[in-house]
Amino acid sequence: MNSSWHRRHDLPWLVLFVIPAFVIVVAVQFYPLAYSAFLSVQDWVLTESQVPKGFVGLENFVKELSDEIFRRSVRNSVLITAGALVLEMFLGVCLAYLTMGSSWRMRSIRTLLILPMVIAPVAAGTLWRILLNSRAGLVNHLLSLIGIKGPEWLASPDWAIVSVILLDTWQWTPFVLLVVGAAIASIPDDLLEVAAIDGASRWKTFLYIELPLLMPLLLLTFVFRMLESLLSLDSIYSLTNGGPGYSTYTLTYYIYTLGLRSFDFGGAAASSWLFMIFATFSIGLVFWYQRKDW
Amino acid sequence: MKKALLLLLIIGLLPVGALAQDMPHAGVEIVTNFMQSGTYDVGAEQLEPGFEEMTGIELEIVASPFVVLVQNNITDLTTGTGEFDVISGDFWIGSVWGQMHPLDDFIERDMWGGSFIEGLTKQGPSAYFDGKRIGIPYSADAYGLIYRTDIFEEAGISADWETWDDYIAALGKLAMHLEGTDIAPNVFAFGASEQAAAIFLGMYDGYLVDSMGNYALDHDKAIAALNQLKSLLDYNPEGATGLSIDEANSVFLTGKAATMICWVSFVRAAAQDPDSSLVVDNWATARFPGPGFPFLSAWNLFISGYSENPDAAWEWIKHYITEDEAKRRFVELGVGSPFLSTYEDPDLIEKYGHDFPAMVENLNRAETVPWIFAAFEVFFRHMSEFIIDAATAEETLARTLADWAELEVPEGLVQSAAAQGQMQEG
Amino acid sequence: MKRGRSPKQRLLALGHGVILFLACLVVLVPLAYLVINSVKLPREFLTVPPTILPTQVTFEHYGELFEDNKTFRHFRNSLTVTLWTTGVTIITGTLAAYGLARMRLSAKILAAVTFIFLFIRFYPRVTTVIPFFLVMRELDLLDTVWAIIIGQLGITIPFVTWLMLVVFQDLPAEIEEAAVVDGASVWQRFWRVVLPIVMPSVSAAAILTAFLSWNEFLIASSVARRKASVLSIAVAGFVSDKGIQWGPMAAMSVVMIVPMIVFALFAQKYLIRGITFGAVKG
Repeated sequence: MNSSWHRRHDLPWLVLFVIPAFVIVVAVQFYPLAYSAFLSVQDWVLTESQVPKGFVGLENFVKELSDEIFRRSVRNSVLITAGALVLEMFLGVCLAYLTMGSSWRMRSIRTLLILPMVIAPVAAGTLWRILLNSRAGLVNHLLSLIGIKGPEWLASPDWAIVSVILLDTWQWTPFVLLVVGAAIASIPDDLLEVAAIDGASRWKTFLYIELPLLMPLLLLTFVFRMLESLLSLDSIYSLTNGGPGYSTYTLTYYIYTLGLRSFDFGGAAASSWLFMIFATFSIGLVFWYQRKDW
Repeated sequence: MKKALLLLLIIGLLPVGALAQDMPHAGVEIVTNFMQSGTYDVGAEQLEPGFEEMTGIELEIVASPFVVLVQNNITDLTTGTGEFDVISGDFWIGSVWGQMHPLDDFIERDMWGGSFIEGLTKQGPSAYFDGKRIGIPYSADAYGLIYRTDIFEEAGISADWETWDDYIAALGKLAMHLEGTDIAPNVFAFGASEQAAAIFLGMYDGYLVDSMGNYALDHDKAIAALNQLKSLLDYNPEGATGLSIDEANSVFLTGKAATMICWVSFVRAAAQDPDSSLVVDNWATARFPGPGFPFLSAWNLFISGYSENPDAAWEWIKHYITEDEAKRRFVELGVGSPFLSTYEDPDLIEKYGHDFPAMVENLNRAETVPWIFAAFEVFFRHMSEFIIDAATAEETLARTLADWAELEVPEGLVQSAAAQGQMQEG
Repeated sequence: MKRGRSPKQRLLALGHGVILFLACLVVLVPLAYLVINSVKLPREFLTVPPTILPTQVTFEHYGELFEDNKTFRHFRNSLTVTLWTTGVTIITGTLAAYGLARMRLSAKILAAVTFIFLFIRFYPRVTTVIPFFLVMRELDLLDTVWAIIIGQLGITIPFVTWLMLVVFQDLPAEIEEAAVVDGASVWQRFWRVVLPIVMPSVSAAAILTAFLSWNEFLIASSVARRKASVLSIAVAGFVSDKGIQWGPMAAMSVVMIVPMIVFALFAQKYLIRGITFGAVKG
């Protein structure tokens, strides 16, 4: 077999395979993305002018970075995402281990546990808004049954952040459970058996054999969930509306309000690109970790 | 009754076929939009078949959630898309008022009018641009104050306040009277943070736009109003800073509050329905205290400047905004009517006598604000931090003004502020 | 488990059971409460304490929804959008991933391509919505399901291509060697040899795409007006400037969630088998 012949022979086919996806993505995303890059250096507030008012260099970026509310939004985003991620990764991995196995019972429980992630974020946010209502909500009612006076979930700045974290955790722990559960199932049994024969404890097996195997996937899940959580908008919109005040005003919420409600396209585009610098860095981290694969 | 209606309908329809040549807009397609609320939009859908039958115009009704509606209207008009011929809006879309079609010629030509509540025909409640009328109100609701007539009678208090000082003094008396009960003197949806602006505007009688045409507030008056607003919390039930509109309403409807500051149209029907209310016949609407004004919600219909069929669009406006329709929408859908005739209807007075006189007075005094969405957003969020003790009154005002400095007041809203006496003099 | 268990083991098993039971409760109680809310009378919505068991079950909220022919249209539009988005995404995304994986590109180029795809996936859509709106207007596609489908494809194709690229790269080359010796074309190799092996992953990608498409709100709300309106917009529509219509909103949420739950139950097997995407190597 001549592999270079094959390569030449295959190439047109392979290119043909790539073209449809490439064309769609470029057609749908390229223009809007390029346009938003253009906007990020323009002064344009739609309610003030029908066309961009002109090139302003990096002024939009400087303005956003020095904006008090922008900084608070970043802080809120970091708090919410960090809190949610810690809970999701921990609970997700624990539950994945607790629901291991292919018995009918375990399969049913797994299926049940992944249900929250199929709910539309808009609907999930509204549902939790009812549940967390301080007076008429189910959560505080249940807490009162065991003698705890529940907090003002949505009316106090700190608890509002906790509420958003809880919602994100409720809805997306299933994603971690799903991915990690599948990964555990695909770890070859003989590896674990060898460890068992060696007399390694369950904990040590996990720490030295399974965890290293799971690590690339855990990291990927982590970055994926992190970016998704930072980008989440519908659920915060329907749960707290960014409030009280600016307490749960996240970066995505900030960009949304700036762009689609205040129509400050220049500022919104600049903020988006600031977010992308961070996202690029995070994705880069995964690439760096997996560099041996490339 | 039904048969008679049917007969009337058939007789009414008969000439339509014969007079087809009298339908100058037959075959024209127009698009109108409304807020998706189960009220304004439903009212329009009910009229659609009859309107199409009568005029031959093909009408498309687009109903969108509030934020989407505002967003669509602004993008449509600033980009010159022209997707909508008839547009629903109010001051929220003030930045695109310059792109609307003037209505004066239509109004004059058809000698069109009605018994509108006088205050609602003025610039502000009705949209104007450069002296020309561009919008006509089809709904009207003023921020109001309702109270429990039975409790007031027991306590020997009358609801005849002029100012918020008077009203708060009354709350003090109520607090003494109600001591030991689980009834609060007042309830308000402090948790719906965008709502508190309405009380602020009632307490504040300074300017909203300065003499340079920028967003501004009179420092001393604003601070006083903010502090007075917060003092209401002393008379509210515990946890009031978390109450949504629906919850505050339910506090009043279950008899746990002696007064409530609210959108009256949102509780009017429920309060008289024994299924949902424990206060049937025991409440009334009172004067919304001054020296500020009751915040007005008055949806206008506009014709887009990009409409290719402004004449057909006008036909729809005339069809939708009539005294009979406004009354019907009031009765069936709970939409506040902009027409005085609704509030003078003998049958309705019998049912709503406890509500109408003060309501009309409030509507006559009501004003809109010159705030674009961004200006409002900044204000209510900072104010909400003040309410939950996360900022002082001075900080709240300073932050609001700093953020406002970045915004421009659209021309149409400067004019509207000037017309309503909301401009700084000098 | 025929042998007798030590007290410690029994305690562990008990703890295990209790934790799983609690986890199930945390998932189920909110969902059950949503269903209860959808059959509650309006006056029982904001009672203190909350009404857990309604005194009277009413189907008026559902009745209102189904009497309104818009509900059917929303449902049909959501279904159309989800089917098309998922179908087109899976076909083009899987093919592109296979093409990229087998092109023997240099590691750097491949990394760059993957990177760009991920970048596009995680760009805040809010800022591209207005340019996208203008493009759709030029193409005369406003208020059509096609505009929503096209908009969603921009998100889902990069995502699926990236997922499948990982899968194909982990597929040992030997699997295809026999077919190469037999002189099978690229297409035959892909269709007969590779696809059956990666089918679980393809199914998992399809399921995730379908969830995303069904629940997507932002793109849909920016280009859909009336004819093309979908369920996610309809649910948000019960929030107005003067409050929330809890009953109809709960009912609409249930209508929106049930198909996805049924779908999730049905597809669960594929999800779990396919979702590792080859990231763990034995």
